[in-house]
Amino acid sequence: MQKRSYFAGRMLPYALLAPQLLVTIVFFYVPAAQAVWQSFLLQDAFGISTEFVWFENYQLLFSDAAYYQAISVTAVFSVLVTVAALSISLLLAVQADKSLRGAGVYKTLLIWPYAVAPVVAGVLWLFMFQPSLGTLARGLRHFGVDWNPYLNSGDALSLVVLAAAWKQISYNFLFFLAGLQSIPKSLIEAAAIDGARPARRFWTIVFPLLSPTAFYLLTVNIVYVFFDTFGIIHAVTHGGPAGATTTLVYKVFNDGRAGGDLGGSAAQSVVLMAIVIALTAVQFRFIERKVNY
Amino acid sequence: MAEVRLTSVGKIYSGAVPAVKDITFSVPDGGFCVLVGPSGCGKSTLLRMIAGLETITMGEIRISDRVVNTVEPMDRDIAMVFQNYALYPHMSVYDNMAYGLRNRKTPEPEISARVAEAARILELEPYLERRPRELSGGQRQRVAMGRAIVRQPQVFLFDEPLSNLDAKLRGAMRVEIKKLQRQLGVTSIYVTHDQLEAMTLADQLVVMNQGVVEQIGEPLSLYERPETVFVAQFIGAPPMNMIDLAPGGGGPKGLDGSSELPVPASGARLGIRPEHLVVDEDGRPVPTRPGDIRLELAVDAVEAVGAETYIHGRLGGDGLMITAREHGKMLLPPGTSRVFTARRENLHLFDAATGRRVDI
Ligand SMILES: Nc1ncnc2c1ncn2[C@@H]1O[C@H](COP(=O)(O)OP(=O)(O)OP(=O)(O)O)[C@@H](O)[C@H]1O
Ligand SMILES: [Mg+2]
Repeated sequence: MQKRSYFAGRMLPYALLAPQLLVTIVFFYVPAAQAVWQSFLLQDAFGISTEFVWFENYQLLFSDAAYYQAISVTAVFSVLVTVAALSISLLLAVQADKSLRGAGVYKTLLIWPYAVAPVVAGVLWLFMFQPSLGTLARGLRHFGVDWNPYLNSGDALSLVVLAAAWKQISYNFLFFLAGLQSIPKSLIEAAAIDGARPARRFWTIVFPLLSPTAFYLLTVNIVYVFFDTFGIIHAVTHGGPAGATTTLVYKVFNDGRAGGDLGGSAAQSVVLMAIVIALTAVQFRFIERKVNY
Repeated sequence: MAEVRLTSVGKIYSGAVPAVKDITFSVPDGGFCVLVGPSGCGKSTLLRMIAGLETITMGEIRISDRVVNTVEPMDRDIAMVFQNYALYPHMSVYDNMAYGLRNRKTPEPEISARVAEAARILELEPYLERRPRELSGGQRQRVAMGRAIVRQPQVFLFDEPLSNLDAKLRGAMRVEIKKLQRQLGVTSIYVTHDQLEAMTLADQLVVMNQGVVEQIGEPLSLYERPETVFVAQFIGAPPMNMIDLAPGGGGPKGLDGSSELPVPASGARLGIRPEHLVVDEDGRPVPTRPGDIRLELAVDAVEAVGAETYIHGRLGGDGLMITAREHGKMLLPPGTSRVFTARRENLHLFDAATGRRVDI
């Protein structure tokens, strides 16, 4: 009897962890290891012969001007998307919080569909800005704005930034709203009595209390921008014009899938992975220390 | 300096029933006013209207002769201590106290002088660099007090500031608050539902029930002369015994002498405080005078707490439960029947229909 319960006690934690571990191994460690292995290989265009070339793929990568362009596009793109997605969702959440204060759980739940709607809207939105068919694009042209994301790199970048930020807003919004609702009303009232006007209340009380949420979202958003935006770029601009919207992850996809350069693409994804790991580590080390209270 | 005056103040939350109705009273400069009443009677609502955290639906509130109905909380020159303390969790104790002064652009040297003074009074000096979550409940409560006093406001408002503390600490803090208020001489309004806290703190006690004021006065005068049945039963522990009398003065079985009382046509309720019931010692009945009331109780339970004894018994053997409070030890065996006497001058009589006091 005792032996059996001892046995169950030993196995249970592993059994509970197993699905998690399995998913992580299958979907993260295995592909990551494969990418690292692949980045040392050179394959001919038809995939017939494969040669182990050590760091040649990396050497080629870092002597490619297009790669440096992709790095700077990624930097601009990620800063713009993160700033836009975080600030717009925060603004919306603050407004929603004002009207939901004291309204109870039931009303708070009612807002959820509104938070999900932007995802659907985002797709429509891309159609509207499509230069030849989109109503908004035509409207812009009607007012003398020469809107053409297929030719103008500024237009192209703003379009993908808006589309990418838009997709992230609803997620951020829900987290910010939950964060705002968890700040006790009496804190805000105490600050009001303490002589802080609304703007000052926001920056000295609400925002610091929200910063753990903001920090979490910053990390999530950066990972999103780095990995999850190539679908949008592919749908809207195909990385063009002239590489103006080719981010690192889009280049991985483009060179590997479309260009057939598996080794080079693998080397790129290894670098990308390193960058994201480094960024996340930096965030945790330097920012998290400041936001904890 | 600051007198607080309320005139016909009322509050209706978004079209529903009124939370507070037609309240008029004033707190003199330096006075300590306690609002007391059962949960939901509108105490917090009234206090928050004085603070400016709720709009005033009806009437007028003045602080030192200025009508403040539409004045922002920050411009009313008040400080408030909240039930959950509402300390800023991301700031140190020092910054919590300094926040209000910084918002008002007080020079830093003066801020640190005032915070140091408050920390000295409240014995918070060792904790100035800590965050609120690193403090005990009592220490947090003192920080909340400190935040109020550094501002040197005209009025202190307290909303059940001690209700999150354990009984012993609550007693100690009660004494501290009273001492501090005397020392600083700041007009204070204090909300509680604990009648003991109310009795010990107040210069002026405002008893509220269902949004209206039942009675206002000094704690002891409310105790000795409650104007309504509600006040009579709310103030004092254990609560006053209430016995229903028929219009002619007839009472339940076991009650003697009530026909002498001026019972109104609608009937009456006779109130007797437990400590005013004196038991007949063995074979030595308490000498009665005309108008005294005698009750025969079958003893149900006896609680001896040392200095005094609570005797719970049923009137006339199986009737209403009556509580008597006697000095010293009095170990009556349960089941015995005893006669208790209440002096005429200690009786309270209320109209059964209106609940208001009737003079005897
Ligand atoms: N924001 C609000 N909206 C609607 N009704 C409210 C609101 N705040 C309070 N009330 C109602 O007003 C009445 C008085 O509430 P209040 O908070 O003043 O009671 P209280 O005397 O402070 O009670 P407690 O001792 O429980 O704190 C209650 O019936 C309550 O339901
Ligand atoms: Mg209350």
